[in-house]
Amino acid sequence: MVAVVTAFSCVAEPESQCIASALRRRDSEFIGRLVSRYHYRLLRYLVYWTSSREQAEDLVQETWLHVLERAGQYNGRLRFEPWLFSIARNLAIDHLRKQQTATARHPVCPEDDAGLNLPAPDFESPFFAAARSEDAKRIAAALGALEPIYREALLLRFQEELSLAEIAQVAGAPVSTVSSRIHRGLSMLQSSLGGVADAN
Amino acid sequence: MPIENHEKARSLFDQSLVEGISLEDRHWLNAHVRQCAECGRYVDLSERTVRALDGFAFELDPAAALRLANVVRSRAERMRSAEAHAKNLWIGTAVAILLTVTGSAVTWRSLAWMASEWNLPSRVWQIVFAVFWLLPSLLLALLPLFRRRLLGEESDSEGQTV
Repeated sequence: MVAVVTAFSCVAEPESQCIASALRRRDSEFIGRLVSRYHYRLLRYLVYWTSSREQAEDLVQETWLHVLERAGQYNGRLRFEPWLFSIARNLAIDHLRKQQTATARHPVCPEDDAGLNLPAPDFESPFFAAARSEDAKRIAAALGALEPIYREALLLRFQEELSLAEIAQVAGAPVSTVSSRIHRGLSMLQSSLGGVADAN
Repeated sequence: MPIENHEKARSLFDQSLVEGISLEDRHWLNAHVRQCAECGRYVDLSERTVRALDGFAFELDPAAALRLANVVRSRAERMRSAEAHAKNLWIGTAVAILLTVTGSAVTWRSLAWMASEWNLPSRVWQIVFAVFWLLPSLLLALLPLFRRRLLGEESDSEGQTV
């Protein structure tokens, strides 16, 4: 299902300014529409982080409550999505850190800038279940084998359609780094898909 | 065809996926891909990969989405009302401080004028001024004592009736 993009009643000002002022005003009707509009994308992004639908749904709610609390920090000069996703990302990292500390099952990966291992999407995860086409299923399996930094960069670029600068803002990394992560991740996925195609 | 052309085509295509390329480069790439089967396969594979990345779909529970929107909406309303309350409190405090400062100045001048009219020593009207401001605070400070006594009497009388 594709997220339904509703039209916002911001005629005179850019949408991001409109969102910023509505958040500052605590305009509950507008905020309700905003939640509905980004619900699907936020849930998809957080399912990728947590590999759990339930945890992702909890984090979606927590993300919106953080958005309300930090409304003053969003000035509307940049697009809303990167700011929203960076809040979700930080919450997901905190959540996973707590989980990993509690269970101590996953060792900390030193190569990951977040300092933790993301749960890899497996064949039982909602992430894999969400893959509708055969290619998507292969991609889901290949994504699981990718390092988290490449996985995140690819999903933000090709699922969320964020620009390189916006991904850099979300991931807290330079644009050149993000660009090379996407190139590398893409070539790894291509070789994975290509291998299957060759086998077929 | 020189091997550099294939490398350039792949590099341009990767760039077109990630960052975008100029119109001139796009024309060159299209022309090359039409002629070169190997690069055409690479483009096709890349496009399949990107399409597959976009091929993840979740079923959303509309009731859960509505519940979430309601939770966030009601939190926003609570925050707005709390912020309005805090704003009113700050305005009230500012007005009270302003009135205290201007009131003190007016009372001081009035008492000084009255003292000069009635030939009172300055100590007297200054003490009256101090009492004027301190009396309400003293009464408020003493109120709990009287209240306790009053409440004690009330509970005594209640005990007698029972």
